[in-house]
Amino acid sequence: MTLYEGEKGSTLLVLRMALPVQTERRLEVLGMLEGTRIVVVNRKKRGAMIVKIRGTRFAMGQSITRHIEVKEV
Amino acid sequence: MNTKELTIGFVGNPNCGKTTLFNAYTGANLKVANWPGVTVEKKEGAMRLHDETYRLVDLPGTYSLTSYTMEEMVTRQYILSDDVDVIVDVADASALERNLYLTLQLMELGKPVVLALNMMDIVQERGMEIDLHRLPEMLGIPCVPVSARKKTGLEILIHTVAHHQDKAQGEKIIHHHDLEKSQHEGVEEHHKRYAMVYSDEIEDKIDEIGERLLKKYPEETNENLRWYAIKILENDQEIKERFSLDFSDILDKDYEKEIINQKFGFIEEVIAECVANRTKKVESTDRTDRILTHPVLGLPIFLLIMACVFFLTFTVGDWLKGYFEVALEWVTETTTQGLFAMGVGEMLISLITDGILAGVGGILTFLPNIFILFLALAFLEDSGYMARVAYVMDGIMGRIGLSGRAFLPMLLGFGCTVPAVMASRVLENRRDRMKTILITPFMSCSARLPIYVLFSELFFGDKAMIAAFSMYVLGLVLAILAAFVLRILDKSEEGDMLLIELPEYKTPNAHTIRIYVWEKVKDYLSKAGTTIFVASIVMWLIMNLGLHGFTTDMNQSFGAIIGKVLVPVFAPIGLGYWQIVLALISGIAAKEVVVSSCSVLFGIGNVTTQAGMANLSELLGQMGFGPLNAYALMVFCLLYVPCMAAVATIKKETESWRLTGIMAVFQLVIAWIMAFLIFQIGSLMR
Repeated sequence: MTLYEGEKGSTLLVLRMALPVQTERRLEVLGMLEGTRIVVVNRKKRGAMIVKIRGTRFAMGQSITRHIEVKEV
Repeated sequence: MNTKELTIGFVGNPNCGKTTLFNAYTGANLKVANWPGVTVEKKEGAMRLHDETYRLVDLPGTYSLTSYTMEEMVTRQYILSDDVDVIVDVADASALERNLYLTLQLMELGKPVVLALNMMDIVQERGMEIDLHRLPEMLGIPCVPVSARKKTGLEILIHTVAHHQDKAQGEKIIHHHDLEKSQHEGVEEHHKRYAMVYSDEIEDKIDEIGERLLKKYPEETNENLRWYAIKILENDQEIKERFSLDFSDILDKDYEKEIINQKFGFIEEVIAECVANRTKKVESTDRTDRILTHPVLGLPIFLLIMACVFFLTFTVGDWLKGYFEVALEWVTETTTQGLFAMGVGEMLISLITDGILAGVGGILTFLPNIFILFLALAFLEDSGYMARVAYVMDGIMGRIGLSGRAFLPMLLGFGCTVPAVMASRVLENRRDRMKTILITPFMSCSARLPIYVLFSELFFGDKAMIAAFSMYVLGLVLAILAAFVLRILDKSEEGDMLLIELPEYKTPNAHTIRIYVWEKVKDYLSKAGTTIFVASIVMWLIMNLGLHGFTTDMNQSFGAIIGKVLVPVFAPIGLGYWQIVLALISGIAAKEVVVSSCSVLFGIGNVTTQAGMANLSELLGQMGFGPLNAYALMVFCLLYVPCMAAVATIKKETESWRLTGIMAVFQLVIAWIMAFLIFQIGSLMR
């Protein structure tokens, strides 16, 4: 599944990212790597969501979340 | 005594409380300077402790030191320059895991680094514990707990900096790695010297690159050889270009990702050992977010908050303004009498009272409105709400082809267009930046506020506030419409992606807000003292000089001649009065000048007082200038070319005269069309 499909409150494990290198790097320096656990804090029905990565909240648009593959843990 | 002052560079992640810490040291005693060549603000301040002077430099917040963004590159270059003696890495101790990534990068630069563990008060509040003995042991740098908000640990931090200035790295670094498994040559030495030791594969590569660098560039790379080598291994374009060496045989794959991975691996190790009770956090932010970023309620709440901001700006601001007006009246009267008693010539008295006092003084009476507006904006920003707006607005912005992030510059536009246009830098995609820059001037800035306040109070009585508020709504709607039209015209899909940190909510800090507001008020005052001062004099001159020299009949003045030429253009939009035309032209210097010019043009010294308003209202009424004309004027002022400072900023940010010119013409045309529609439709309905 993609991160975009993640439900509010779920904990997910990042498997793969398929984004432009620059965006991927930006996520990586924030600590979002393959194998990192993230929590979906809040989300809109369609569109952006708030995720928690290593204790910090980030708002992420669907143009990013649709390209991140995750699995539930 | 040591005469050389120590320069301390403050670096840290966004939202780590770096600026609060910086302000706690320097107070309002700072100067804002632009980086040479690049327009990223750096702040500088000075402080004294134990007879020594320290120069403090606040750098833009950054998550890493790669060369992907302008900010990061500027920060990196500045830290590497000889200017900085010691780096203070400010970290949010309550989110240490993420903050340590920058710390590891800073340590690799080879300069003395001191880690300031900020927000220790929050850490304690949450019942978290940080092992302050183990942490410096593992990192090899001093770690000083501070709280910028409570002002604790400040002196100790500077003291540590003073004692640490010559040490690049600490002496003992003790951490667990599988030393036995490592085959890398000199691995033990590595572990003693560097906190961050990579896998054998990477360490081998670093050594290989280092050897080549040292052979060809012994002088340049001598000091931070390891850093250069790591950067080259990370395929950093800027560093690679500096050395004309070919490393393609070493760089056989993408090592950057691996390096980031290993850094976070080490960070996890540090956190596991040094931070206890991490999970006990009281998540008050989550509870607040449940309401403020609610999928349905989020947007109405935001609109309500903005409505409150404007309500306060008008009611409280106007109430305070009353006192300013009384003071201005008194000053004008006393000055006139004083000058008259001194036997000063009539012409000079006229210049001082009708020109300077009417213009500059009139603008100063709006200071309370401006003050309240910025106070509210500072409050929103410092509490942590501002970033949420990007999330809340992302859906709507998405429909007009922009990310929610683009809304932040627009929101700042309510304060002033200049920083708002500069803030568009947060958008990486150039096309989105241009779009945002184009629509930001439609967000009604605080300089336009005096125009609304004056004319809506003149003509709309009880409904003055609604009339003024409608300008903000109209501006916002037009901005969104313009972006929407651009999206239709421009079919390409790739847009900027929303990615923004949402800081923890906190009680706004009085000190931070005071400094923020004071800076804005200072800007406003200095604008009144410079641009508006000069504009008032120029206005007075062209109003009192004509083809035959000094004239008291304004109809014969140069101003009247210029204004009258343009009257036919402005007649269809209800502004066909040469005085108004002239006031609008002068408004390009700064939007407030429209008001100050009106005072000068109509010869009313106290235009913002009750008597002055009645007077102006009567004069305008005689000319046939009614509420509809006033509304058209407000709309025109909202939309036409922003002030010179804003245009100059747009030029700087777009790096194109052509684009700047197109934008100015576009705004002028839109302003004319909107005012035309309002005036003509309004006239028909009458």
